[in-house]
This record gives sequence, structure tokens and C-alpha cells, in this order.
Amino acid sequence: MTTEAKPRALNRLKSMYALRAEVDKMYESGVEASEEGKPVAWVMLEGWANPILNAMGVKTVYPENYSSLCAAQGMAMPFLERAEAEGYPTHLCGYARTCVGYSSRMIELGGEIPPEAPSGGMPKPTVLVASGAVCDARFKWFQSLGRFFDAPVWTIEQPSPGLRERLIEGAYERNVNFMISELKAFIAFLEKLLGKKMDWDALEFTGGGTQEINRWRWEINELRKARPGPMHSRDFWSAVTAALFRGAADPEVITKGFERMYDEVKERVDNGVAGINREEKYRLLFEGLPPWHSLGFLDQLAERGWNFVIESVYSPYRPVHIDLSQYSEPIERYVRRNYRSLEESLEEEYGTEEAGLIIDEILCDGTSRRMGMRRARDYQVDGVVLHVLLTCRAMSSGLNLQQQRLLDVLKVPSLVIEGDIIDIGAFNPAETLRNAETFEETMEHYRKVRKELGMPW
Amino acid sequence: MTEPSKGLLRAQEIYQDRSHRVLELQKQGKKIMGYLCIYPVPEMMTALDIVPYRIFGDMREPITKADAYMPTVNCAFLRSCLDLGLKERYSFLDGIVTSHICDVGSSLSGIWNYAVKTPFFHHIDTPHTLHDTSLVQERGLLPEYQKALEGFAGQEMTTGKLKEAIRVHNEQRALVRELYELKKQDPPLISGVETIRVIKVIESIPVDEGNELLREVINEVKERSDGPQIKSARLLVWGSILDDTALPEMIEGLDANIVMDDTCVGSRPYFSDVEITSDLMDGLAQHYLIDVKCPRTFRVRDYYDVHKDYMKDLEFRFSYLTDYARDWKANGVIMESVRYCDTHGYEVAGVRDYLDSVGIPSIYLEHDYTEGALAPLRTRVQGFLEIIS
Amino acid sequence: MVRIHFAGIDLGSTMTKIVIMDDDEQIESSVIYHTGAEHRRLANKVMEEALSKASLSIDDIAFVMATGYGRINVPFADRQITELSCHARGVASFFPNVRLAIDIGGQDAKGLKIRDGKLLDFVMSDKCAAGTGRFLEVISASLGLKVEDLGDISLRSTKKVSVSSTCTVFAQQEVINYLSDDVPLEDVIAGLHDAIAGRTARMVNRLKVEPDVVFTGGVAKNVGVVKALEENLRCPVLVPEEPLLSGAIGAALLGKEHVLKALARGETIQTAKRRLEEATFFK
Repeated sequence: MTTEAKPRALNRLKSMYALRAEVDKMYESGVEASEEGKPVAWVMLEGWANPILNAMGVKTVYPENYSSLCAAQGMAMPFLERAEAEGYPTHLCGYARTCVGYSSRMIELGGEIPPEAPSGGMPKPTVLVASGAVCDARFKWFQSLGRFFDAPVWTIEQPSPGLRERLIEGAYERNVNFMISELKAFIAFLEKLLGKKMDWDALEFTGGGTQEINRWRWEINELRKARPGPMHSRDFWSAVTAALFRGAADPEVITKGFERMYDEVKERVDNGVAGINREEKYRLLFEGLPPWHSLGFLDQLAERGWNFVIESVYSPYRPVHIDLSQYSEPIERYVRRNYRSLEESLEEEYGTEEAGLIIDEILCDGTSRRMGMRRARDYQVDGVVLHVLLTCRAMSSGLNLQQQRLLDVLKVPSLVIEGDIIDIGAFNPAETLRNAETFEETMEHYRKVRKELGMPW
Repeated sequence: MTEPSKGLLRAQEIYQDRSHRVLELQKQGKKIMGYLCIYPVPEMMTALDIVPYRIFGDMREPITKADAYMPTVNCAFLRSCLDLGLKERYSFLDGIVTSHICDVGSSLSGIWNYAVKTPFFHHIDTPHTLHDTSLVQERGLLPEYQKALEGFAGQEMTTGKLKEAIRVHNEQRALVRELYELKKQDPPLISGVETIRVIKVIESIPVDEGNELLREVINEVKERSDGPQIKSARLLVWGSILDDTALPEMIEGLDANIVMDDTCVGSRPYFSDVEITSDLMDGLAQHYLIDVKCPRTFRVRDYYDVHKDYMKDLEFRFSYLTDYARDWKANGVIMESVRYCDTHGYEVAGVRDYLDSVGIPSIYLEHDYTEGALAPLRTRVQGFLEIIS
Repeated sequence: MVRIHFAGIDLGSTMTKIVIMDDDEQIESSVIYHTGAEHRRLANKVMEEALSKASLSIDDIAFVMATGYGRINVPFADRQITELSCHARGVASFFPNVRLAIDIGGQDAKGLKIRDGKLLDFVMSDKCAAGTGRFLEVISASLGLKVEDLGDISLRSTKKVSVSSTCTVFAQQEVINYLSDDVPLEDVIAGLHDAIAGRTARMVNRLKVEPDVVFTGGVAKNVGVVKALEENLRCPVLVPEEPLLSGAIGAALLGKEHVLKALARGETIQTAKRRLEEATFFK
């Protein structure tokens, strides 16, 4: 008896592969630049520094991304083991420990790129640019690389006030001025390091194609609200690196890549084609950073009809026109474009009416139950997967609260998956799959609850 | 054995029933302000006649409620604080002030607002670096905080009141340093266990009462005959928060005295004064951002220096540990951290490199903030003592 | 001639070991018992048996040194020293060139950096049972195998599997999954041994691996783990004839050295009451 081979559970977007390929090119160009004697910076993603570094002729590479790439290719564990042997506690960020292991290996080889390094590897840094935003690891980690490299470390601060404190009169302007003076100080440092002056003309603060790339990404995500969900989170994650490498790649190529992705997703929506080759039984939101070492696990869930239609991290922002003509300094325009007041960002994300309600709640309670609910609601998900990471506090500490709020406000249940971004040993696929099976009943139950309450899905 | 002296006995009593005194004061109409970590500038509370009351966890109480709000892969000290909040152990507080100490600390503020709720709340976004711009930013945050506190207290914070508050808090710092002087002798006149108890207590009562207690303890300790015995090892303990005597009890139950510490229920908040500057806020900003040496801040010798020198950088960041070891004649360092504390975790390799370079033996202990889990650490500490003696 | 005798007792979480030696460091008797639930308290019985094998009475013992997890609860011990120092001393007595000793016992694993017979630094595993003898016991029990047979079974392997989980419970599930996929038993067992060896190698790497490397503890009796450890550390691994006794031997030797030092200084030797009482383990 012959049977026709069942198609793979995931229906990958063809346009994703071209964008994914750009990532390898970026790493290759970093190595080339280093070989040509150009300065290379190891930089934290989205940390303000990229356009400035590029304008000053510094090539940028991204260790956070590089660690995830190592994990996705099954190459991270030897680096983690080296970090452990170097005496770094094993609960520290998986990205950081992969990078520590990589650095240690590099020093063992006299500064050469390890031959086993995936995608051509990262060249030795001239400077390490850390970030005070998002998590502690992003500045502590680069400082702790001091034992391997004599590259100086600069940390770019970014305010992260509490919600209510962001609404204090004058606080936004104070924070803007802080950012401006921080970036000016960073430029002064770079000028000293590189022995040359900042080329203000070369500094393209509008981010060039960056905004255009963001706009396409936003439009793609809007399309993803369709039923069935036309694009699976795995395609989003595979392509996102190309978008986040500000200034490291040719923006025109990346823009074109996302435009093609938009066309492909649009075609799927028009024809009712899903991101999985199975019936879409459950629509899911992936909350947190992905398990880079075991992305194939999501294929097993797709096999059961789970379609991850949207995710919470690396999202594009709503494209808005911001009039900055009154500000003469390019640095100030850069800061005001990228660091928005809470009122503005809420209005952009939620619209005027809901933003007003959120602000009222924040003023009263210091927090708002409405925040963090938008994706689950707009994408009408049946469940949320919360990825609790053994080695990441910033992305894990709020997840249980999020679970409670999703259930309280939207009657959407969550499945907690314990694991890690890098350390495959922290993840138990067999048990997680069993829990997922049980979770299907929970999702069914809450479908009924939402129906009884007259909710739209 | 003789009875513990009067000051120490009082410290022990307050230690065991920490909120007793502030509840009494609350009945008399005083407002009690909880604060997490040492960054919420308690001087400004004292200036408005608000009693600062530091929030601690309880490592002897199993965490049962916090898990619903915070995954277990987070600092157990902060999870315990949240747990106690959820169990209404802090329900008497009139307000709470938090600061951007670390990822979990910041996250805790939001969860507290959602699930615990305290009438007044303020969060200070303390910057992370020693940049000049960060100092301006920290300085800029204080008037906003002042205004919020004034609204809460219903009175104005005059320069005179703030100056007096800084003076009294500096007096406390001087008294703590005086107490630590008594640990330089061999045997030290006060044990590590007793020290933690005293420091925790002065962070639980009004600062002037704390000063009175410190004076009492200092006078009594100087005269005592029941103090610690001479032991083979004199240890310096570096690391994350220790707000319970269990770990020092385990260590001092072996052949060692803890003679000095760099932890934050210990010397860390007390070893530098707030300078009385012409604009008082300048001195406060300088103290809390620059002078307090906690790994939550990115400290680098000269941030404009483009020629990195790892050993010089370590020296800038940690040479005070050599001073401590020399002055208090410590012959070993215990680095300790509660598991999942990232800010201390990243520092471990550097501190170890530094101590190795100056020839001071060290050991790193990670614990999960439960009393029971300390037993397996005993073998490590004893093994370390066997190596250094 | 009157001989002086020294006893070392290593009260481990899984096994209790006693060695009695004379002043020429010749072992007169040794006893190894399971520290079962009942035997935890019965260090005195084990001591009695060791004495009877050596035809000695407790009063003939000049000094009793206790070590191991239960060291502080041995009422007739004169002094306690950690198993870290005792293992180092014991191992150095059979292998004077040892630079790294690895001990994997029932509940923990440790690495000891040794130079000229002296302990310089050490690492110990976390409280969890993964990577210890307990890990192998749990898994062999769930497969209906004897733990002592695992080594030989694994040597038949031609293609060991990869066991990625670092947790005992997770690893057990992985094993069951492999077996239900008809993977040969020997390949699964070899994979488990490799997981233990890999975990241990990661832990001891901080001490910098240099030969001679000596492996002791109950798990050192498993030839499969020895082989896997050699592969993971990329160097030969030496195993003493009786890998369980190094702690007790080290304890007896350190007891003797303590006595000699005290005598040289003209000090009297402080000893405990020579009465064999039950250990108050759960005090």
C-alpha cells in the first residue's frame, strides 16, 4: 500500500528564506570588515547606538542574536560549558553565557574566530556597546567580558521609569534631555576612541529604511489578524533579525524582502491559506522569547492544529508621522522619534479612547489591567503560551501576572512552558507536549466562557 | 554563659518582632513608609517625619502565594518580599517606595501595585551608570520624589528639616562604622550574627531611635566578656542581601568569625556619608548613585578611557575589599549570592579575579533563600576553612 | 611493641565506610555498609564490626576522625574534617601525582584540585541528584536493572544516544522514550553515562583538568562512567582498587597527622568519650 506523504505541519513563507539569508551575510560582512582592519563593535540590539556607530564607520555585530543563532544550530552548548568552567553562575542569561564561552574560546585561539562558530562567527571587538535598557544582563554581561578583551565598554543609559512616574509633569522632558546628553557623551567617547570627529552628515537619524521596514512589518502583522492566521511565529522569528540589524545590512534589500513577505501573506489571506498545513484548531499568542534550541517543537504543536498567529516580542510599532521640524539638532530629533511619552505611545498603540482609560487606571492604581491585552484581543487567540526562562528575569518575572490578567480580563487561558532561550537541558519536550494536550481542554472551556459572556470570539 | 547585654538583647527582641515599634508609632499618628532596597533616600522620609521601614523577606517562611505572580526562576529574596506582601504582613504600611534596583525589583513594583496595593506608591528610576549625565538625571528625579512625598505627608520639606535628617542619618552611618571598628580586634567584640541583627533592626525603627540603640550596643559591646571567641579564620563576606542570621550562624558555627562584610544589611549603606552640599539634593544624588557600591550600578574606572586595562578596572571597582581585608585582618572571603541574582552573578568572576590577584582566598556560595538549603553549604564553607587555615 | 591505631569513619548519605589502620598506615580492617534508613544511626555497629575484624577494642584506637555528610553526628569521633580534605588526602596516598580528584557519591559529586597531596580548591554539585549515584539508581530501578550491571551493559554500545536533560526526572522520561522507540538498551545506558560524565566534566573544568586524574566514590565502580569520563575529559582516569574507601582512609591519615602534630607541640590530645553510642543523626 502506498500513502501520499503528509505535508509538513508548518506552511513556511517562501519570502522568509531570503530575509534569513541576509543574516548570514551580515555576519560575513562583519568578519570582512574586521579583516580589512575596520573597527568592530559588539552591540546590544535596539540600543540607540547603531546609526551612530555606522555613521562613524564602525561595523556592528550583535552577540544576543549570535547566541540565539548558535542555539538554533545546536552549537551553543559547548559555549555554555566553557562559561561554566570560567566560573560564571549557570543561572545567568543564556545569551550572555554563550557569548562568554565564545569569548573564552576566542582568547584560547589567540583572538581568532573559532572554526566551529556558526555563520562565520563574530570578529574580535574594538569596543563593546552595552545598554541600560530592557535588562540588567545587557550592561553587566559586557562588563564581565573584560577578562577576555581589552576593548572598552560603554553603557548607553535609557530611562525606565514606573508607569505613573512617566506621567509626572516635566518627567518626559527630563528623560528626553537625559537621552540627548547620554548620546552626546557616547559620541564624545567614540570620537576619542576612533580619533576622528563625528560625521553628522552621514548620520541618518531617520534610520533610512528602518521606518520603511517597520511599516511593512506592521502591515504584515495587521494581516495576521485574519482567520486562519496566515503566518506562523516561526516565520516571524526567522525574519526578524534582518529587521533588527539597524544599519548593518542594506536597508533597501531588507525593505524589499519585507515587501515581498507582505505580498505573500496578503495572497494567503485572500485565499484563506494558513501558516500551518493543518486545520487551525487553536489560535495562539507566544509571549516571551522563543526556545531557539527547539523551535521544531512548535511544529509538533502545529501538527495538533495550534497556530501561533502572533507573538509579543520584537513587534513593530504603529507607523505614525511625527513632526519634528521644530527641533534643529539631529540628536534631539533622533531621541524624540524613538523615545515617546507614555501618552503618545499609548495613543499610538491603543487609540485615543482606550489610551485615556489606561491613563486613568495608571493614575489611580499605578498600573492598568488593559495593558498587555491588546494582542490577545485583536488577534482573538484561544490561548497564550508563556515561555518562562530559566536564565532570563526580565522576560520571565512578569509572566505569571500576565497569566492572571489575561484570564481576569479576557478569559483567555495561558500555558506556562518552562525552558530557556539557549539551554536545551532546561526544557522537557515530552512533558510540555503532555501539558499542551491537557491545555486544549482548557482552551475549549474558555471558548464557552467567552461565548456566554458575549465576547467577540 | 552570661545573658546578652541590654542593647543586644533589645536588638534581638526587635529583630524577632520587627514591626512592633512602628505599629506603636503608627497608633500615635506617625506614617510608616516601606522601602525596598537602599536607594529610596530614607533621609527624605525622615525629613517629613515619616518613619522609613525597610522591606525584607522571611527566609523561614515558605513562599506560597508569590508563585502565582512571579516564576520561581527569580530572586527568592524578592519573591519572599512579595509573598509577605500578599500575605498582608505589610498591610500596615501607609506607603511604599521602590527603585530601579534590578530587573526583578522593578518588576516587583508593578506586581505589588496590581496585587498587594499600598495607599501611597512611588518608584525611583535610579540610573545605572556613573556618567555625569546620570548624576544629573538622578538629581532630577529627587524633586519629583520630594513633591510626591510632600503630598503624602501633607507638609513641606524645608531645607532645614532635610539638612537635619541628613545629619541624623550620617550620625547613624558614623555609629555603624564605630561598631564595625570593634570587629577589628581578635576576637571581634561583636559577631557577624549580632551585627546583622543590629543593622536589620536600625532599618526597622526611626533613625534617632536606631542611633540610640547603636550607642547602647557600642557601649555594652566594649565592656562585654561574653563576646565571640578567637577562631582560626577571620572572614569577609561579600555579596547579595543577607537579611537573616541563618547563613552567618552556619558560618560562625564553624571555626570562623565574620569580621567584615560588604553586603547590604551590613556595611554597604553605611560606609560613606551624604555630603551636606549647598543644594542638599546634590549630595543625596551623589551618595545614592555614585558612592554606594552595589553591583546594580555599572562602575568603571574612567568611562572616557579608551585604553581598557582589566586589572586596573578591577582595582577601581573592588580595591575597597583589600582595604577591608587588611584593616579587619580577614584571611578569606566568602562571596555569597541568592540564586538568580543577576547583578551579583555577573560580578562573581571579576571579584574572584581581583581577589586572586591580591592573594586573598575566596569561595563562592549560592543559596536559595531557605534555611534548610544552607546545610549542604556547610561542607563547602568548612572545606574552604580547612584550605585557608 | 605497642601499636597505635587510627580510625577513619566516612558517614556518607548512601554508604558508611570505616577504616582502621596502624601507625605504619597499614589497613587492619575496613567495613562498608549501606547508610540505609536504619543504619544512619548505627555508625557504632559498623565501628564494632571493624574493631572485631581487626581484633581490637575501642580503647585501642588512639584517634577517631569522622568525615562525610553525617560527620558531626558520630558521638565517638574525636574530630571532624570535611570529606573534601579527607578524599584529597586519601587519594593522594594511593596516587601521589594526583592533580584532580573526582568523587561521585550517592547524592553529590565533587572535584578536588590537589597539588603535592594538598587540597587547593574544590567544586561541588548542587543539591539535586542529577549526575550522581542516585541518578543511576533511580533509572536502573525504573528499568528493572541492577545498578552494578549498568557498566558492563553500556560497554556493548555501538551508538550511544544523547540525553540532554540535566534533571533526573526529565532524563528518566527521555530514557523511556528512547526505549519505546526500540533504541538498544546498551546505547541508552551509554548515553546516560555520557550525560553524567559530561555534567561532571563541566563542573570540574573550572579547576582546570590536568593529569593525574583520579576518580573515586561509588560511581567509580561503573566502568561505563569511567570510560565516558575519560572521553569527556580527554585524559586517562585512574580508579583506586576500592574507590569507596578513599574518604575513610584520608580521615584516618589526617587523624594520625593531627596526633603527631599535637605530640610534636607537646600538647595533649583531646579525644571524645570512648563509648560506642548510636549516632544522633536527626538531632
